[in-house]
Amino acid sequence: MNRLLSIVATLMLGLAGCGGGSGGSAPPPQPPPPAPVTKAEAYQFLNQSSFGATETEAASVISMRQERWIDDQMLKPVSRQLPQLQMLPPPQFPFELHADRVDIWFRNALYGEDQLRQRVAFALSEILVVSQLGALGNLPFAVADYYDVLAENAFGNYRDLLEKITLHPAMGVYLSMLGNEKPDPDLNIRPDENYARELMQLFSIGLVELNMDGTEKLDGQGQPIPTYNQEIIEEFAHVYTGWTFAGAPTFHPNVFLLPQASQYFPMELWEEYHDTGTKQLLNGVVLPAGQSGTQDLADALDNIFNHPNVAPFISIRLIQRLVTSNPSPGYVRRVAEAFDDNGAGVRGDLGAVVKAILLDDEAHPAMAMEIDGKVKEPLLRLTQLWKAYNATSNSGRFPLNASYIIFGQGPLQSPSVFNFFSPFYAPPGEIRDSSLVAPELEIATEYQNTFFTNYMFYQVFALNQTNDALADDDVFINFEEEMAIADDIDALIDMVANKLLAGEISTTLRQEIAGMLARIPETDSAIRAAETIYFVVTSPEYAYQR
Amino acid sequence: MKALNRRDFLKTSGAAAVFAATPGLAYSQFVGGAGPFDDYRALVCVFMFGGNDSFNMLVPNTPAEYGAYAASRQNLAIPQTELLPITPVSTSTPDFGLHPTMGGIRGLFNSGEAAFVTNVGPLVEPTTKEQYFNASVTLPPQLFSHNDQQDQWTSLRGNVQSKTGWAGRMADLIRTGVADQQMSTNASLFGANLFQSADETVAYVMGPGGPVQFEGFSTDPNSILFEQREAFRRVVEAQYGTVYERAFAEVQRRAISAADAVTGAIESAPPINAVFPQSQLGTQLNTVARLIAVRDQLQMKRQVFFVATGGFDTHDNQEADQPGLLGGISDAITAFHEATVELGVADSVTTFTQSDFGRTLTSNGDGTDHAWGGNQLIVGGAVNGRELYGSYPLLAIDGPEDVSGGRMIPSTSADQYAATLASWFGIPDADLDVVAPNLANFAERDLGFMIA
Repeated sequence: MNRLLSIVATLMLGLAGCGGGSGGSAPPPQPPPPAPVTKAEAYQFLNQSSFGATETEAASVISMRQERWIDDQMLKPVSRQLPQLQMLPPPQFPFELHADRVDIWFRNALYGEDQLRQRVAFALSEILVVSQLGALGNLPFAVADYYDVLAENAFGNYRDLLEKITLHPAMGVYLSMLGNEKPDPDLNIRPDENYARELMQLFSIGLVELNMDGTEKLDGQGQPIPTYNQEIIEEFAHVYTGWTFAGAPTFHPNVFLLPQASQYFPMELWEEYHDTGTKQLLNGVVLPAGQSGTQDLADALDNIFNHPNVAPFISIRLIQRLVTSNPSPGYVRRVAEAFDDNGAGVRGDLGAVVKAILLDDEAHPAMAMEIDGKVKEPLLRLTQLWKAYNATSNSGRFPLNASYIIFGQGPLQSPSVFNFFSPFYAPPGEIRDSSLVAPELEIATEYQNTFFTNYMFYQVFALNQTNDALADDDVFINFEEEMAIADDIDALIDMVANKLLAGEISTTLRQEIAGMLARIPETDSAIRAAETIYFVVTSPEYAYQR
Repeated sequence: MKALNRRDFLKTSGAAAVFAATPGLAYSQFVGGAGPFDDYRALVCVFMFGGNDSFNMLVPNTPAEYGAYAASRQNLAIPQTELLPITPVSTSTPDFGLHPTMGGIRGLFNSGEAAFVTNVGPLVEPTTKEQYFNASVTLPPQLFSHNDQQDQWTSLRGNVQSKTGWAGRMADLIRTGVADQQMSTNASLFGANLFQSADETVAYVMGPGGPVQFEGFSTDPNSILFEQREAFRRVVEAQYGTVYERAFAEVQRRAISAADAVTGAIESAPPINAVFPQSQLGTQLNTVARLIAVRDQLQMKRQVFFVATGGFDTHDNQEADQPGLLGGISDAITAFHEATVELGVADSVTTFTQSDFGRTLTSNGDGTDHAWGGNQLIVGGAVNGRELYGSYPLLAIDGPEDVSGGRMIPSTSADQYAATLASWFGIPDADLDVVAPNLANFAERDLGFMIA
């Protein structure tokens, strides 16, 4: 239909040209207009770029097409956590605010207008990891603001983001750069190497040299080439000396006595604690002696940011979080090139990177291969259901602070800086045997999957709109629409499949659900609706992100 | 002199080594695997994530050696008066001391049920400081990095990539001998791990309190919840078009089939009187004890359990945090050992520790950084206890084993440590090179800390 309209329009333009009497030649042939976006394509795209596709949002993508939807999303104001956290009455113990932080995270993830920004922030939070589990337990404002920094910079420049996270007190505490001092040889004290190591290993360049397409460079003996050694880490450790909480009365203050703002203002430099010697950085760069701590930091971050590994390294990590576990070298190269140069000569433009990731042909292959796509993270399986079924609670809150126990992951609740799962994780069997990876499957253990399956059972059968004994904070879903048609088994399955699977349900799943529904009296419309949703959200096809 | 390397070894030794050099091909597959077993043995790996500062766990107590330690460690040294002195059989004098929170382990050491392997860590071949600096030996890659050294400890991969862990390879080696077991040889109470990853034997991952059962499933054929279970099972047994769906479905299939048998058995476990600490590790070890209690019901003959606890990456606040960390290890392992005594299986169960790495002797002010060699603990009735194995290094900055800032080159390899445990577990000598691929590079194949 669109194509036909377009042809008519072209013809009319042509006629208008002739009518003008200018005698100009016929207009150049127009490229054929793109085919309309299908619902399945819109779902695929939204599951990559938001906290779960819904029919409403899919309609927007179909009418706007993907690129304009992205452009529109990038202009949406940031949904922040910190301001909401600050409006709450102070609790007896600071760590209690993490439940509120998680509540705000869920509300932003489910109902924030800035879906793409929130999804990219979530991806970044699994790369530039800090966690409430550990020393940040008592610093909830720091953790909330850290997430806001990720959201604010989700389409910004990676160099700026590196500096912001480096100086963020949440990172300072988490990887112990905060309070790090110059050496004291008499006491065998030397700078803390924690941040120096993980910034390079996990946040920027990785352990071995990479080609632009993400494959490893090899030396003459066919071995990977390390990007740095222990000496380089020790040198960088000297760079990151002299920083502590903003407004701290002493270099090692008591965190419980600090003003709240110290949790989110960038760390401040105390020059007397900064090492002023020379420092050997990457690629032969040496920082001269006597520089200020601020200059040393800026130079060191420039040195890391300009390492050729950063583009493929960050590109792979983000592709894996958003689109597929096993991108082709070509896909990685195309995205890495966008990192290197956004088209206007700027390196590190994350907006350009995100666009390159989501609009690449490999993000929506015409003929999907068996290694395309990825496993959905448990939290995304949950949020997709919640969005599709308008989840809410009577209090309006979603304080699932035990998320990391129930789902094996939660917002900024990683067990360590190595995230909930490794980008290199390969489960035994065909994936490992083919040298592929499936990071999310590291937390899809028998135990964790059963826990998730049980939570879904509880969610659909107990935590739904028909339950009149819900606790205030119980997050419940609403399947009134399903109940209204529950006497028609096929229609009911179609409705749920449309909402959760873009209508593309396997024959087996449809048959098994139909078999179960036939055993449930049609008057038990709530049970029928719940049963249908339960089978879909626990199925392998729902756990798979196309 | 440079030790025999792998290539030399292949040239000079027989079939066993050839098989050992071929991944997935084990000697025992041709001569008949180990087992069936007529006894029960279990290995319990306690992994301390983050890198345990084990030179504060086991401290020299003789004047010169303590002096070197104190000079190196400065504000992070344990005062000598606070150490819990221990007297190894071989010296008959209290040459070493334990961290003051490890009273339980001292008791087990004194009664001959605990031992330490000192300055052990990942190596490809024996390595001296000179060889380290002139690069004349092959080193494990990415030393001092958390995940790499965890992988090296648990896979013994040396300088090659390994997709299997040493417990996984042990399980594959004995697979035909334990075919009747109703649960996988390998069970983890702390998530998926490389240690138990195998070519054939898939480890079973349960929670810290054991497996969870599916809600809404019944095994009563008259119940609609039985039909629900069967429908669910058919969904996860269906054919899928992508590797991701297939792998996900496979986990669901394993979960359904294992949950009933194991949960049913564990519910019938007798009460255990030993008091476990209320900690993550205590809970896991309590569950392991209950699983061991029902070993006959599940027809288990050989088991490897993986339990773990974190927080050992003490870059900060080490003085404040270390007592809780080491005390927690001591209390949980001691309680677990008591439980095995109670169950009459103390001689059949061996608990041992692993950790990413030891930590620097120098400090960063209030903590320590990533290093290499460290000390490990072994507990059980089959342990040649009240002894230290391997050589304890001089804890001096720039000393003979220090490569920088008090990072000790291991004098004993993780391969030797693993092979000693594997041998006790019942792996034939010829297959130890499959379990520990670089074992042939070291003179001692068995460190002697297990009663043969």
